[in-house]
Amino acid sequence: MTRRTGVFVCHCGTNIAATVDVKKVAAELGQDEGVVFSNDYVYMCSDPGQQSVINAIKDHDLDSVVISCCSPTLHEKTFRDTSAAGGMNPFQCEIANIREQCAWVHKDKAKATPKAIKITRAAVKRVRRNESLTPIGVPVTRKVMVIGGGIAGIQSALDLANAGFEVVLVEKQATIGGHMIQLSETFPTLDCSQCILSPKMVEVSKNPRITLMTSSEVKSVSGFVGNFKVKVHSKAPFVDPEKCKLCDDCTPVCPVVVPNEYDLNLTGRRAIFIPYAQAIPASYTLDEEACLGLNPVVCGKCKEVCEAGAIDYDVKPKVTEYEIGAIVAATGFDLYDKGYLAEYGRGKYPDVLDGLQFERLCSASGPTGGQVLRPSDQKEPKNVVFIQCSGSRDPENHCAYCSKICCMYTAKHATLYQHKVHDGQAYVFYIDIRSGGKGYEEFVQRSMERDEVIYLRGRVSKVYPSKGKLKVMGVDTLSGKNVEIDADMVVLAQAMVPSKGTAEAAKTLKIGRDKDGFLAEAHPKLRPVESVTGGIFLAGAAQGPKDIPETVCQASAAVSKVIQLLSKPELEHSPTVAKVRDSHCTGCEMCVDACPFEAITLVNGKAHVNEVLCEGCGTCAGTCVRAAIDVKNVTQLQIHEMISACMGG
Amino acid sequence: MFFGKLKKAHGKVIINPNWCKGCGYCVKYCPTDVLEMSKGYNAKGYHPPQVKAAADCRDCKFCELICPEFAIYVTSDKEEEQASASA
Ligand SMILES: Cc1cc2nc3c(=O)[nH]c(=O)nc-3n(C[C@H](O)[C@H](O)[C@H](O)COP(=O)(O)OP(=O)(O)OC[C@H]3O[C@@H](n4cnc5c(N)ncnc54)[C@H](O)[C@@H]3O)c2cc1C
Ligand code: SF4
Ligand code: SF4
Repeated sequence: MTRRTGVFVCHCGTNIAATVDVKKVAAELGQDEGVVFSNDYVYMCSDPGQQSVINAIKDHDLDSVVISCCSPTLHEKTFRDTSAAGGMNPFQCEIANIREQCAWVHKDKAKATPKAIKITRAAVKRVRRNESLTPIGVPVTRKVMVIGGGIAGIQSALDLANAGFEVVLVEKQATIGGHMIQLSETFPTLDCSQCILSPKMVEVSKNPRITLMTSSEVKSVSGFVGNFKVKVHSKAPFVDPEKCKLCDDCTPVCPVVVPNEYDLNLTGRRAIFIPYAQAIPASYTLDEEACLGLNPVVCGKCKEVCEAGAIDYDVKPKVTEYEIGAIVAATGFDLYDKGYLAEYGRGKYPDVLDGLQFERLCSASGPTGGQVLRPSDQKEPKNVVFIQCSGSRDPENHCAYCSKICCMYTAKHATLYQHKVHDGQAYVFYIDIRSGGKGYEEFVQRSMERDEVIYLRGRVSKVYPSKGKLKVMGVDTLSGKNVEIDADMVVLAQAMVPSKGTAEAAKTLKIGRDKDGFLAEAHPKLRPVESVTGGIFLAGAAQGPKDIPETVCQASAAVSKVIQLLSKPELEHSPTVAKVRDSHCTGCEMCVDACPFEAITLVNGKAHVNEVLCEGCGTCAGTCVRAAIDVKNVTQLQIHEMISACMGG
Repeated sequence: MFFGKLKKAHGKVIINPNWCKGCGYCVKYCPTDVLEMSKGYNAKGYHPPQVKAAADCRDCKFCELICPEFAIYVTSDKEEEQASASA
């Protein structure tokens, strides 16, 4: 087999060249059998670098190339496109990763260089046996599923619908709105959160292109980019939203009272209830768990009084199956559990609130109509201590990361408090203030100067109840003094953590999470709204702590990526798929069971690969005891020769 | 639950142990799990039920309806009693 291979070694600035003698790699590979051209360049991915590859393909009549550079995740596509531009089949281009797998993990140039040579040589051996392939064309479904109905999901759904796409919006709770609907005013402009969000929620319910599925969750996803099959489980709608007239006749008769999660348990609600007056869908909901049993003999009081006939205890949960082209995961955040914060009472002191509870107290639609009152005795607190970084920036005990928005919302809370309680005093304990953003720094400064909030730089070591007050023991590191405050109320700015639903959704969608549990993006800088799985995109606080403007930006960015994907008539599926050698296959079905994508079936006693479903992972090839199945361009023979190249010399 | 004045419905369960034949229906079917079987015997030699969680009674009167021997009934609490029960 005579091939005409070109080898191109990249310096990656000094990323590779500092640890690997790139010239030596190029020179050595130039001597290898079948290599007719080799060179090195400072940035192979730059325009002149790519042009040099194109020129070499033409000038030296190359039939295959190896680019020795960074990881294929980053630039395989770049250089396959370059090869195609040079007139070569793109699948005759392979990447040798001498950056992540060599330069970055070694210091000793004398040892790293021979390793880089081996890695490159292995790729040369591999490409010698590459087949020329053509991508497989797959039709696309022009329908998008958005998971999570917070501001991220709402913005995504509206943008998509306005661009002409059909959208299915799936929300776990009885209403859309997410955490934003719980907020009172929003920094830095102090505009009312509900006033800016409610119209968008109504728009969602009115848009004919949006199918809204509340009290619903995605239970399974199969298929692949452009052609997902998604099963959505919906709780039984005991109250029919079409019939519910919002008359509120049912709640006074319901004998049950349970904590109201929408008010963060500051108030109670009935088993039949409406989360908010502005809830979308605009309907009451029956909480199956709290209800005495959905049995008219036991209770049935709500059904008796409901004149609209909206209540039916016999409806069943349902499963709906959708064909979907792309998915946006916007499952949001939760607050770090107060129970972990032993120094602040583990959530046992009623007057130690979390940020969202304080939002509810400030909100005109909240439990107190917007008056700041202590939960324990419903009196107005005169000294309120806000503690930033509760659970953030504490790698030893809690979350290592900065939650990014708490400096801003604490400044907002302190400001709102000063506006509402004129003879009160707000204190803020902080580590340092991070107020990057348009108008953000000015907002914090105003809270200090105009609203006379007292900022104390330091941590609080302990909060405990003492004589009807909360004793706050802290330190002011600027004066070096210990500070003790007898507070009436303490508000914790707890860390933002990925919501419980985010973990569940990641599992169902089979997308990665980062070390802190947030949804992982495909590239932290260049692909921030894509997951590593094709066709699944990320938006909002599920991907990392962020405020509303950033969430909205990300949602619209994810939508633009979806539109890019779905505006093509056909998608290209990689042709590096499994191929069965019928003569060797005995039909034992081991590969059928092993394939994680259910791409293999038995046809006439032989394994048959559905090329559109096959992801080329190679699990089948590793399983087959007869070597009857191989992935194209990563055959067992190729792997064997690559190993030999690495071991030899 | 600190704010708002929602009151849970509350009833008082009254048991006539000597009418009980120990079938256990009330214990099994109470939606809020207020009752349990006692260890003691009644005049007929059965274990009658007893109240284990009085505060949880939501006054649905299902036990009253389901008891084959009319051995159990519920009286609805007055307004002020409801208030103290829901605190
Ligand atoms: C105390 C506090 C004050 C704040 N104040 C401000 C402010 O003043 N200004 C500002 O810009 N930002 C503020 N923020 C930040 C703001 O709340 C967030 O940026 C925003 O809510 C993020 O929106 P989201 O849609 O990504 O997430 P969320 O609001 O958390 O919405 C996620 C939604 O997804 C649903 N969900 C979760 N899992 C699933 C699942 N598996 N299936 C279906 N649905 C699911 C949830 O039920 C929820 O409805 C504040 C945050 C806090 C905590
Ligand atoms: S049937 Fe359930 S929801 Fe309706 S009034 Fe009775 S307990 Fe409440
Ligand atoms: S955003 Fe502010 S309060 Fe939150 S972790 Fe960072 S520094 Fe602390």
